[in-house]
Amino acid sequence: MNVFTCAPDLESILSCIYVAWSSGLGHKNIKIESEPIEQLSLFDSYTHVDKDHAMVQSVIDAVNLKISPSFYSDLAYISMAYEKDVPDLMYRLMLLGFAYGPGVINNTCYEVVVRFHEIKKRLSNESCRFKEVSRFHEVRHSLYVAHIEPKSRIVITLGPAFSDRMPSENWMVIDDVHREAVIHPKNSPFYLRTLTEDEFNELLMTEKENDEYTDLWKIFFDSIAIKERENLKLQRSLFPLWTRKHAVEFT
Amino acid sequence: MYELRNGFTIKEKLEILSDAAKYDVACTSSGSERSGKEGMLGNAVASGVCHAFASDGRCISLLKILMTNHCVYDCKYCKNRAGNDIPRATFTPDEICTITVEFYKRNYIEGLFLSSGIIKNPDYTMEKMCETLRLLRTKYMFNGYIHIKAIPGASSELIYSAGLLADRISINMELPTNESLSRLAPNKTMTNILKPMNRITGTIAAHRAAIGKDARMERAVINEHLVNSIFNSGADKPLSGIDGSSEPLVDTKSLIKTLTEDNTFAYPADIKDTRLKRSFAPAGQSTQMIIGASGETDLEIIHTAQNLYKSFDLKRVFYSGYIPINEDDALPALNTPVPMLREHRLYQADFLLRYYGFQANELLSKERPFFDNRIDPKCDWAVRHLCDFPVEVNTASYDKLIRVPGIGPTGVKRIVNARRYGRLNFDMLKRMGIVLKRAQYFITCNGKMLFNIPLEEKFIINSLADSEKKETVRIGGKDITIKQMNLFSDFNVMSS
Ligand code: SF4
Repeated sequence: MNVFTCAPDLESILSCIYVAWSSGLGHKNIKIESEPIEQLSLFDSYTHVDKDHAMVQSVIDAVNLKISPSFYSDLAYISMAYEKDVPDLMYRLMLLGFAYGPGVINNTCYEVVVRFHEIKKRLSNESCRFKEVSRFHEVRHSLYVAHIEPKSRIVITLGPAFSDRMPSENWMVIDDVHREAVIHPKNSPFYLRTLTEDEFNELLMTEKENDEYTDLWKIFFDSIAIKERENLKLQRSLFPLWTRKHAVEFT
Repeated sequence: MYELRNGFTIKEKLEILSDAAKYDVACTSSGSERSGKEGMLGNAVASGVCHAFASDGRCISLLKILMTNHCVYDCKYCKNRAGNDIPRATFTPDEICTITVEFYKRNYIEGLFLSSGIIKNPDYTMEKMCETLRLLRTKYMFNGYIHIKAIPGASSELIYSAGLLADRISINMELPTNESLSRLAPNKTMTNILKPMNRITGTIAAHRAAIGKDARMERAVINEHLVNSIFNSGADKPLSGIDGSSEPLVDTKSLIKTLTEDNTFAYPADIKDTRLKRSFAPAGQSTQMIIGASGETDLEIIHTAQNLYKSFDLKRVFYSGYIPINEDDALPALNTPVPMLREHRLYQADFLLRYYGFQANELLSKERPFFDNRIDPKCDWAVRHLCDFPVEVNTASYDKLIRVPGIGPTGVKRIVNARRYGRLNFDMLKRMGIVLKRAQYFITCNGKMLFNIPLEEKFIINSLADSEKKETVRIGGKDITIKQMNLFSDFNVMSS
């Protein structure tokens, strides 16, 4: 098997797909994986591919024109997912799209289509989850900062939701895992920023600042539960531990 | 900010008044879709957002509080009844507004759920609640979700104002019959509950029609495909009682009549409330019934719920298993377990009415007025109608597929979508995420069942009861209690 490897971001994956496709080795003999590779195999040969803007553009154009723009946006959406098989899945979906047109994305008879829907659903759940459990801290006067630790790079998907919710507030959501932040200045559009080491370290301190409403929230959170109906198992399944890291009610 | 008022700090008031509000089960923030606006705080998301789950497993979406837990009424089942000796506190309107917006900005909540004990009289209480909402909308520029409880007996003007300022308005029915109500809530009457409920229905319908919407509330899309759905059938016919002929459980009028008769609100308490140009209760109205405090059967309860959906176009009916907090001869003893399993079965049946095209009298009958503890109401119905099974997944209609135990609206959609591309087999169903644990007894793919299973009532009940035993014990058992189960994943549908 010829394995083409790349960084796990959208542009690198599209470049990798371009190189793999043009290799002429035959689709069956090709695999695309994102780095780091967890376990190298003796029987496979590995080729690293770097991001290349011309290649990226030509893949985007081909998908947009020969399949459809919404097919491309589906591919771009799942590229945010942390699952290791996503780059290869994108490649296989493109093969199907070129062969059968955009409608194939709903044909659940294909395993790759089923997997695509699984990942899309999971990603959207992950994004929704952080719309629910992100907790803002007021730091200084009227600047609200939230830290999250998602599995996938979904922080950008929180931008539209929180901009609509708080259009006239200064706020930012920081993804501590991928070190990216969505930043929203009051009454302005939001933007995505990759944080430098210094910025990241400074922003880590925000949760240590005292916010008086945190205490009130904890009081409410405890008193609203009915003790005769306590069910910590159900609470854990609906509010999994990995999403509670920055939920102040558990600190 | 922790100033002393009425002898309590804000922290203490919040503790007392959220503790007093926790027995109200409605907490959803769904039903309104509203974008944010520059200069304001908040929006509303149609599907609602749960921000946390409390230690009882219930979702926390709204700041659920009472304005005050002082109460001049003496409802026997209620912790705040006048006769109880408990700490009493009252929030000022500004205190409620400040906590709401500050919690909202931290993404703790979607909005406010405001209820209240009755201080002085219903009008005085409702006026204070309206004042709070008015402040929240106009001074604090809050554009998020608000659910307000209307106080039975309050004047029409105040209830109209409340609905103009809030997204959802509800009046708790508490008990499904007049007799139980007068026994357990002597200060309340069915007329005081149903009259405003009827006017709220009429006003919501009129406001919806005025902005070009269907006068009836939106329902799950699947209902359009279900001939038998309570939302499609007989909506303009007067509703009957359980046996189809006797007195209706609820005094019913059709919505069309509602629009033409004088049962909309005419004037708000403050004319400024109309200038805000908000629709009246765009997320609709809901109600709650207490289960297990009085002697009604499941059939009576579910029939009342169906009538409320059909005649008052309620968005939701909530069921609250009675928690014995007061000692009273008219109530179950203090150590009576909370009827969790019964409540769970009622929620399941309610889903069958709203998403599956079932009618109450298909699920239960006078001869069999309670749900089976062992299996869910849909399985229960299916094993009593084995003549309708097995269903062939490659050809069956929406109506037939949706009645297969284990297949929900999402499953039906996937099946109908996929079979456009070719014939389906069991492997494909599994890949599509259809769980065959229950469905296997009731379906064929290309004429064959998954296993060679006898289509025989006892065999299927025993197998299903066995596979559900763990869950049933978990809900109904003594050690572990559970609220409403995880209905949404059970049924694969969104909350509304
Ligand atoms: S009116 Fe009845 S149910 Fe409501 S707070 Fe007062 S005593 Fe409780």
